[in-house]
Amino acid sequence: MNENTLRFTRTFEAPRQLVFGCMIDPEHLTHFWGPIGVTTPLKTITVDARVGGAFTTVMVNDGDGSTYPTSARYLEVNPPERLSWIEDHSGMTVTITFTELGTRRTQVDIVQTHVPAPMMDPAAQAGFLTSLDRFDTYLAERTGANR
Amino acid sequence: MTVAEEQQLDAMFSALSDPTRRAIVVRLALGDATVNELAEPFKLSLPGVSKHLKVLERSGLISRGRQAQFRPCHLELQALNVAADWIEENRRLWSERFDKLDQHLRTLQEPLNGDPNE
Repeated sequence: MNENTLRFTRTFEAPRQLVFGCMIDPEHLTHFWGPIGVTTPLKTITVDARVGGAFTTVMVNDGDGSTYPTSARYLEVNPPERLSWIEDHSGMTVTITFTELGTRRTQVDIVQTHVPAPMMDPAAQAGFLTSLDRFDTYLAERTGANR
Repeated sequence: MTVAEEQQLDAMFSALSDPTRRAIVVRLALGDATVNELAEPFKLSLPGVSKHLKVLERSGLISRGRQAQFRPCHLELQALNVAADWIEENRRLWSERFDKLDQHLRTLQEPLNGDPNE
């Protein structure tokens, strides 16, 4: 995997089938989709869990009522192992892998790739996720080689 | 994130998709530099460097001084922070989402305490 991705991992004490199901069922998603202080009303969630199907939500800020609509298309729906979608607006892809660690234990890995809308190109994802230190090394090698 | 911020983010990611431009950003992190000073280590022509600088300037990552003769380039740390903030915000989103999912899964699996639907 290249460095231009964001990754998150969490282990849940629940069967894989159930964890996967939570990710594609609006009745479940409404319970956890919004972060702290943000609600995702059930009626705003659309899940058409098949390749090319829509996944849309509207997150509502509990404090001021401001809304954050999201809209994506599924790229892969492979229960209970993998789920992937691409956000229409940002072009960001999210791939979720569900790994069974036991009958009631599931590891969830998220790989998120931000592909800027105007540059649907892996090279364009580079940059901020690479530390300045690494830039510095790169610069040092480059200038060293030329001198 | 506003539309303007998203557009700026796109422009910054795009600007940093080029290794030479990333290296220029590193150089400027050490301090302001003129076009000549930037061209030298990369063995680039002045027009070549100018082209890269224009892209960086449009993205908001760098600014150029007003002195016509030297126009030193300056890294806009505030702009870099926009990108860092986006990453941090995204990380927080998933973290809090997972906290809630964890709680939800517990509720589902504890019929005595929780949801009668399951």
